[in-house]
Amino acid sequence: MIRIAVDAMGGDHAPDEIVRGAAAASLALTDVELILVGDARQIDRLLREERHEAERIRVEHASQAIAMDEKPAEALAAKPDASLLVAARLVARGDADALVSAGNTGAAVLACSRHFHLIAGVRRAALAAVYPTEIRRGDKEDPFSLILDVGATLDVTAEDLVSFALMGAAYATRISKNPRPRVALLSNGTEAGKGPKEIVRAHELLLAHTGLNFVGNVEGVDIPRGTADVVVCSGFTGNIVVKMLEGVSETVMRLARYAYKEKLVWRIALGMLSGGIGRLKALTDWQEYGGAPLLGFDRLFIKAHGRSRSRAVENAIKVAAKAVRSGLHDDIRKRVAEFEARRST
Amino acid sequence: MTAPALRHTYRWDLDKTYLRTEFDTLGSLIRTAFEKPADKRAVPGAPALMRALVAAGAGAHRICILSGSPRQLSRVVAAKLALDGVTADELVLKPNLSNALRGRFRALRDQVGYKLPALLESRIGAAAPGETLFGDDAESDALTYCLYADLLAGRVTQRELGRVLDAANAYPDVRARTLDLAARVPGGDAVQRILIHLEGRSPTAPFEHYGARVVPVFNYFQAALVLYQDRHLDAGAVLGIAREMLASGEHSLDTLANSLQDLIRRGRLGIKTALALGEESMPLGSSLAELAPQSEIARTFTARVRALGALPAAPPAADAPLLDYPALVAADVARRRDAKRSRDAKRSRDAKRSRRQDPDHR
Repeated sequence: MIRIAVDAMGGDHAPDEIVRGAAAASLALTDVELILVGDARQIDRLLREERHEAERIRVEHASQAIAMDEKPAEALAAKPDASLLVAARLVARGDADALVSAGNTGAAVLACSRHFHLIAGVRRAALAAVYPTEIRRGDKEDPFSLILDVGATLDVTAEDLVSFALMGAAYATRISKNPRPRVALLSNGTEAGKGPKEIVRAHELLLAHTGLNFVGNVEGVDIPRGTADVVVCSGFTGNIVVKMLEGVSETVMRLARYAYKEKLVWRIALGMLSGGIGRLKALTDWQEYGGAPLLGFDRLFIKAHGRSRSRAVENAIKVAAKAVRSGLHDDIRKRVAEFEARRST
Repeated sequence: MTAPALRHTYRWDLDKTYLRTEFDTLGSLIRTAFEKPADKRAVPGAPALMRALVAAGAGAHRICILSGSPRQLSRVVAAKLALDGVTADELVLKPNLSNALRGRFRALRDQVGYKLPALLESRIGAAAPGETLFGDDAESDALTYCLYADLLAGRVTQRELGRVLDAANAYPDVRARTLDLAARVPGGDAVQRILIHLEGRSPTAPFEHYGARVVPVFNYFQAALVLYQDRHLDAGAVLGIAREMLASGEHSLDTLANSLQDLIRRGRLGIKTALALGEESMPLGSSLAELAPQSEIARTFTARVRALGALPAAPPAADAPLLDYPALVAADVARRRDAKRSRDAKRSRDAKRSRRQDPDHR
């Protein structure tokens, strides 16, 4: 049985939407036990109102919670019984296989770095996000590409970028079932020498010492085109990229809503396009993707969006279960060890 | 030798309560009708619980099965029960064929109009001082059983019962017969517990307005824990039920421990009772030893109780005020009618869709 600890008190809509998402996941995932961490009274009040599988849910009481706007280090120090910390400790002790939280990202990354250990050969963790593209991949015709890091490590070295590439490729292989994902570095030009020195050096290392399907550098425009299946960058760049992509998607939808209200002709035109717009909306809806994995630690953490509603939470739990089931961490360990071995010879 | 005086009657529904029956689609309904006894699957733990309840009575407990399954299945059902080592004192099935032949189609789906007179008739035949009823969340068992309990206790008058039967749209002869049976049934506050098996994993909150007597359970380990608390079963019997559930392969120590924690959180099992069960089970632990080491069992269960922290125990469920049965039955009839309409509409949509997708149909 896979065990997933869920921070029931983390997120803009916690605990209501988190518990609802977990309740739905408990019915859908027959090989998963969910450990809901948080105020037991509140969790129980919410569970009573939902269809759920009580046999596969246990509650771990935590008397404190970290708010979305709290400073991570201060909050972790002041609240030792916070749901996020209790959940992270459960995972660190091996009582759970993965952690899912929609709470304060900084506090979650910090909690993981304090309680989990980096995989041998990985020096920095990376937060990965998926984004829909024009191209379909693998047997499941997955439209998503993976971008990492999107915020865990702001300053990176070339070695960090290489480990991100290895981890991203493992994730794409195991989770998206893409047997040989195309890996690229995000830069300001496709030529090998373009970009800051860590990108240039990472390019050399990826070509020389990994067996990855490395396709070189890509530019920002290539992300939605799907030129690469795994796009590697620093946390600083990645965070700006995903926030911008999210903003573009939301703006398009807002403009469509505006046009619908504004003129009858536009309304008719939008009505004719409604099927396509619906598909576009479904494709760009982050609630479908579940969450972003924090890769590099010996334990799995899936960060769900802070604004997650129940559907997003359910999907985040499903992604966590899939990652555990697929042996993602063993694959990452193997790839990193192979890189180290090749490099030393 | 004379038989001991009847002390308690355990009334069981069959489909989705004792048996894992699928009748949500026409196909599964037909499959169910032609199943052999050996093909029928009991809900894990239900046979062990039924056997334990019989054994605990030493002849003073009665098992009555009342089901909406057609009478034509009675031989198959009896054979299935025999395979499970269970002998029912009474097996009442529904006369669906004669209802259909007489054009009484309402009776095919009617719950209150079928089960209530059958319960009353059974009690007139043999009235025990105590009764425990087992049902499920697929139909209206909680409502029908509460109505039966309050009728026995004299909390529902003949006049109000008449209004209930009107709300249930009962046929005139059923109405007259039910009122007659209610007038003759031996009364008393006999129904001590109503256990509702949540086969459909329904939310538990809607059952709370029926009061403390009704306990929704996710499995028969939870039912056994409640009955241990009610002093119907001892620790050995509870372990026996757990053992059968573990042996079924559908349960693990974790799912049982989570079930225990769920009952405590809902205020349906006291922590003291859970701890007492643990102590009583210690010398009996060998009955589970081949399935899991004693230390692991103790650790798993203790961890679930400890996980709730220093929170004060959840307050026990409150007794219900007198329920407005005519309104509840009317709401239930409307709910089931709407559910049927939406099922029919979905079936029709699915059929249209499959016709469109069928290349031979284009």
